[in-house]
Amino acid sequence: MIDFEEPRRRPPYETMVPLINVVFLLLIFFLLAGTMEPSAPVDVNLPAGQISDKNARLPAEIYIEKDGFIWLDKNMVPPELSGLLVRDYLQKQGTDRVAIKADRDAPAEFLLVLMEGLRQAGVKQVTLETSQAQ
Amino acid sequence: MFDEPIRRRANFSLTPLIDVVFQLLIFFLLTTTFSHSQMLTVSTPAPSQSELPQDANVVEIWLMGDGSTRVAEKPVTSEHLGEAVKQALGGRKDMTVSILAETGSRTQAFVAAVEAARLAGATNVATARVDKFAP
Repeated sequence: MIDFEEPRRRPPYETMVPLINVVFLLLIFFLLAGTMEPSAPVDVNLPAGQISDKNARLPAEIYIEKDGFIWLDKNMVPPELSGLLVRDYLQKQGTDRVAIKADRDAPAEFLLVLMEGLRQAGVKQVTLETSQAQ
Repeated sequence: MFDEPIRRRANFSLTPLIDVVFQLLIFFLLTTTFSHSQMLTVSTPAPSQSELPQDANVVEIWLMGDGSTRVAEKPVTSEHLGEAVKQALGGRKDMTVSILAETGSRTQAFVAAVEAARLAGATNVATARVDKFAP
C-alpha cells in the first residue's frame, strides 16, 4: 500500500486566544502607564533634583540647550536677546506661567539672563523642570 | 414546510485583528515615555547683585566658574552642600539665601543650590549672576 500523507489540519483558533490576551494586556498597560509628550524642539538632559512642587503642565515652555541657546516655541534665540524676545513671546501666548527646561550642563548665567528677562516681562516665579534624582 | 438547516457559525479570521492590535502595541511601545519630570519653583532674579539684600540674615551660596561651590565663603563639596547650608542658617526661619552664579557655572549646580536652600528651610531664595568673584 502506498502511504499518503494525511492532509495537515489547520490549528483551531483557540490556540491564538492566549496570545491575543497577552497582547491586549500589554496594549492596555502601555495605554494606562505611559504618558505621551509633545515632541521637544531640542533634546535636553534635565538636571537631577529632589523637590517636586507640582506636576501641572504649564502653558509656555522654554528650552535651554547645553551650549546656552534658548528655544522659544520653535525659534532659537541667542541668550543676550532672550529678555526682549521672551516678553513678546509671552504676550503672544497670553500667559505668565512659564516652565524652563534647561540642560544640566547649560551655563547658569544664561538661565539667569533668561529669568531676568522674564522678571522684566512681569513673571515673578518660574518653574524649572528637573528629573528625579536616583 | 421544511426546517431550514442550522447554519454553522462562520469562522472569522482573527489575523486582521491581531495585525491591528500589534500595530497599536508597537505604536504605544515607541511613543510612550515613563520619565516623570518634577517642577522646582524659583523666583526670578534681581537684575544685579547690588539689589540683593545685604544684611546679617543672608547666607550666600557662591557657584564658582570651575564647578565648585562655596557656602558663606567656605568651599563645600556637592554632597555636603545641604548640611553646610543648614548649618549656616542655624535653624532660623527668617533667613534669606542668595545664590550667586559666576560665569561658567552650570545649571545642575544652580538647581542643587536652590534645592539645598529650600530643604534647609530658607524662606527667601534670591538669585543673581556675577561675572567674577573677587579673589
